[in-house]
Amino acid sequence: MNQTTSARPSPPSPSPAPEAAAAARGLSRTYGSGPTAVHALHEVDLDLPRGRFTAVMGRSGSGKSTLMHCLAGLDQPSAGTVTIAGTTITGLGDDDLTRFRRDHLGFVFQAFNLLPMLTARQNVLLPLELGGRRIDREVRARLDHVVEVLDLVDRLDHRPGELSGGQQQRVAIARALVSEPDLVFADEPTGNLDSETSAEVLGLLRRGVHELGQTVVMVTHELEAAAHADDVVVLADGRVREHLTSPDAETVTQALLGSALDGSALGVPVGGGTR
Amino acid sequence: MRTVLLASLRVHTRRYVAALLAVGLAVAFVVATDALSSAARSGLNAGVGAPYASADLVVGESYGMSVEDEERAGEVARGAGGSTATIGRAWEQLTSEDGRQLDAETSIGTVSTDQEFRWQEVVSGRAPTRDDEALVDERAATSRSIKVGDTLTIGSGSDVLEVTVVGVAAPASYLSAPVYVPWEALRELPGAQPDVVLVDAGASGADVEALTADLSSAVGTSVRPTAEFVDERRTQVNDGIDVVSYLVLVFAAVAAFVAVLVVANTFTILFAQRSRDLALLRAVGARRRQLLRAVRLEALLIGVLASTVGLVVGGLGGLGITAAVRAVAGPERIGAVSWSPGWWVAAFVGGVLVTVVASWWPTRSVVRISPLAALRPEEPTHAGSAVGRRRIALGVAVAALGAVPLGIGIATMHLWLAMLGCFATFVGVLVLGPVLVPAVIRLIGRGLGRSGAPARLAVDNAVRNPRRTAATTASLLVGVTLTATVLTVMATGRGAMEADMDQEHPVDLVLSSTTAASDTVLEKVAGTQGVEQAVGVPGTTASAGDLGEVAVLAPDDATSAATRDGGAALTVGADEVLVPSDAKGLGDVGIPERLTLKGPAGVVELTTRLVPSRFGGAFVVAPATLERLTPEPEMQAVWARAESGADADDLGGSLGLIAREGGLELTNQLDRRAWVDVQLDVLVGAVVGLLGIAVLIALAGIGNTLGLSVLERGRENALVRALGLTRGQLRRSLGVEGLLLAAAAGLLGTALGIGYAWAGVRTVIDVAVPDATMVVPYGQLALVVLVAAVAGLVACIVPARRAGRIAPAEGLVAD
Ligand SMILES: Nc1ncnc2c1ncn2[C@@H]1O[C@H](COP(=O)(O)OP(=O)(O)O)[C@@H](O)[C@H]1O
Ligand SMILES: [Mg+2]
Repeated sequence: MNQTTSARPSPPSPSPAPEAAAAARGLSRTYGSGPTAVHALHEVDLDLPRGRFTAVMGRSGSGKSTLMHCLAGLDQPSAGTVTIAGTTITGLGDDDLTRFRRDHLGFVFQAFNLLPMLTARQNVLLPLELGGRRIDREVRARLDHVVEVLDLVDRLDHRPGELSGGQQQRVAIARALVSEPDLVFADEPTGNLDSETSAEVLGLLRRGVHELGQTVVMVTHELEAAAHADDVVVLADGRVREHLTSPDAETVTQALLGSALDGSALGVPVGGGTR
Repeated sequence: MRTVLLASLRVHTRRYVAALLAVGLAVAFVVATDALSSAARSGLNAGVGAPYASADLVVGESYGMSVEDEERAGEVARGAGGSTATIGRAWEQLTSEDGRQLDAETSIGTVSTDQEFRWQEVVSGRAPTRDDEALVDERAATSRSIKVGDTLTIGSGSDVLEVTVVGVAAPASYLSAPVYVPWEALRELPGAQPDVVLVDAGASGADVEALTADLSSAVGTSVRPTAEFVDERRTQVNDGIDVVSYLVLVFAAVAAFVAVLVVANTFTILFAQRSRDLALLRAVGARRRQLLRAVRLEALLIGVLASTVGLVVGGLGGLGITAAVRAVAGPERIGAVSWSPGWWVAAFVGGVLVTVVASWWPTRSVVRISPLAALRPEEPTHAGSAVGRRRIALGVAVAALGAVPLGIGIATMHLWLAMLGCFATFVGVLVLGPVLVPAVIRLIGRGLGRSGAPARLAVDNAVRNPRRTAATTASLLVGVTLTATVLTVMATGRGAMEADMDQEHPVDLVLSSTTAASDTVLEKVAGTQGVEQAVGVPGTTASAGDLGEVAVLAPDDATSAATRDGGAALTVGADEVLVPSDAKGLGDVGIPERLTLKGPAGVVELTTRLVPSRFGGAFVVAPATLERLTPEPEMQAVWARAESGADADDLGGSLGLIAREGGLELTNQLDRRAWVDVQLDVLVGAVVGLLGIAVLIALAGIGNTLGLSVLERGRENALVRALGLTRGQLRRSLGVEGLLLAAAAGLLGTALGIGYAWAGVRTVIDVAVPDATMVVPYGQLALVVLVAAVAGLVACIVPARRAGRIAPAEGLVAD
């Protein structure tokens, strides 16, 4: 792995905490230019601690997805640096970045998580196969464990078309966990699911984090979803509004309400997220 | 609905590129054919009148006339105070002064010593005024290095003509020949054929009708005014060109068929991708008929656009190709292009029709879209539905039905029936495509799968939608199947012909005479570059009654090694004599059943056996027979076998010199072989080249399908990129997908082609050569598959690059 460091000058922010799984410094992302430019992220400084399940919250359009894309190296920020597991990924070339994602990151998206022509098992093993890793006994043992935790044992040979929405998301989670990545990113993983299935999937994700010792960053705008997380980062207008460690529901609601008032003068539904 | 139509045309025109290309190419093909044939026609037409211009009457038919009629016509016309000139032709060997063989067999034309009747334009030197003077064609003079003042020998054996070159003629488009000599000299050669006699009524000009009547009663052929005769010739020439251009149109029809497949596939994919938009239109109140009319109008407009582009491209391309051909073939052969409105209209209407017909079924599916489809959440394109049993049953039924006429056609050697059967079975294969093609792709993919994830993804992607896969490869399948069929039939035909040639011309080059050859000659021949083996053949000269002095050869085992057929043609019994088809006097005297040969030492009576083989005019007997004729056989002939790939003309030139020094004569049979080879090569090249246009259209289709699939799979591609597929791997994966599609079509098409070629051989070649052995040109077929596969790879360069440029985050948010 090519461990290039960023060519950008270091921003005048505190250096990343040593135990952080991911750290962003002065992270900005601007779409377009001139008067119509949209500042989706504005000089974000963020440390995500290792071994925790962090929810990134905020109302629609607050920059959650953009933050995740930049943190995960799916998009190039306009300014700032992102460091994951000691590697500064901003400034890496496309191929190095791709390999970094393959070897160090896992993903769960809201929809279209799986390739329709592959079976669940093939989908789960896809990142390993892309990396040319041999499916040895160790990998198989982990696959068995993950699949058992996620209750997918008898679904592995089905294609996505034959699985329910919840099962599809669980396959995606299995894929994100099986390669033991440094960091798992989940963008609204329950956005397409009913609340009961959501709770089940999130419970499994949380169980995966704690039992398999992973670090997970989940983007969501649902309070119920955030309730499963350890920590909550609240975004508003492309800035980090709060970073709450093990908050209770009340605190999160207050923070969200505050961010909403901050973001716009209009009233915001409280408690039910921004649905 | 107008706004919707215009907006969708604006947005989707890029996606119609393949349809535009396919139809445009087919239309351009037709227009370019018109350009070339009209240019060829005007070139030839300009020349047709010239040779006859100065005559009042022309005696003779278009297929020539008899020698007697030629003589009588001359007598009658001259008796009435007119003057005449004969146009004729002979096919003879042409040798230079120093013994260089310039041509083993070439056409010798006529030139009149009378300036009035001379149609050739002399560009240097002067026109012949005596019978032993000749004119050479400017091109021939350059290629064979003949100069004014050279002496040429025309013919071989005892009937030869020696002429002096006095001038050089400009290349002609009609009645052209490398050498022109006066008919009065040419007629002395046994092979000379009069074509027509030109008559100038001269002073009796007023009495042309009386002369016509006199001539008509004197000759057994027609006598016509020049204008009438020229008209007929012109019509013949034009008919010949028309036949060629209609043959070319057959390939245009193939191209159009392939275009139909490509266009239908493009529309199917496009409407599948737009079904949500269309459903939304239905939901907001568009009636079915309105929708159908809108998409059909869209197809019509695409057809009109494509055909217009095709006309322009074909017109310009036709002018370009014509100019290129003119530069190579000479301005006298290719004249000015004159456009035929009929062809243009036909090409345009054909192009529009192709588009509309091809889009008919895909647009019908639009009607079945329910407004509800718009409300369903957008789902990723799932693996295509499994191939229905009904389709399999239909495909098998069509193929089986086609097998019936095919079988009967082969059994009864009925070409049309066999072709009908081939077509029907091919349609059956196309219907079965969704089963066959993915199976072939999986088979190839099994080998590729181990080479990594990108290749495995490519295999999975290539077979995920079997119907689309089959539809995409169908167009290429047509081209490859036809190409493989043609190549295999031609190879088999060539093989049959070669076996024939081996028998007819067992020896490449023969140096012989009625006098013996020397060891020096043998050594020189053996040492000549391009000669693989040279042997001296023992023999003697004998007198054979009415046939006169003849050469008699008795080949031994060593001699057989120099023949093409390993001596098979030389098998002769002890009481037999082989009479070759080029034996002296064969036509004049006739060959008796038993022949008495009188040699230096004895007389033998032998049974004659006529054989198709030629040994430079010599008779062949067994070694024992030779012993009875002479106690001391001499080296009567030198036989040489050429190395494969040796140039027939070069070898003829060098061996001609050796032959002359040794007082021998050269018979070049390699030349005939080379000529046949060139004809076959040109034919194969032309057919494959013409099929190339269909293959090109098919490849545009593959590129387009991949391009549309890339658009469709934007999210999936973003997903695999997020999961760790590098940009290069994604590109490679798409490349492999294109390669797989093309290779599958290539393999399947080649297999089908060999099958159809077998049917073709049994119905066509068997008529001429019974039980011809199938020759499968593995090398050429492998090349076809390779070219198809590489072209498939090339076809997806653009889609692959486009897919690689999209950043993962971009793909994840895009619809
Ligand atoms: N490709 C893009 N071009 C222009 N603006 C964009 C683009 N993607 C996102 N944005 C804008 O950036 C802001 C943040 O978007 P996003 O990160 O998707 O928000 P969230 O995920 O929190 O809903 C929004 O105002 C959105 O309109
Ligand atoms: Mg979002």
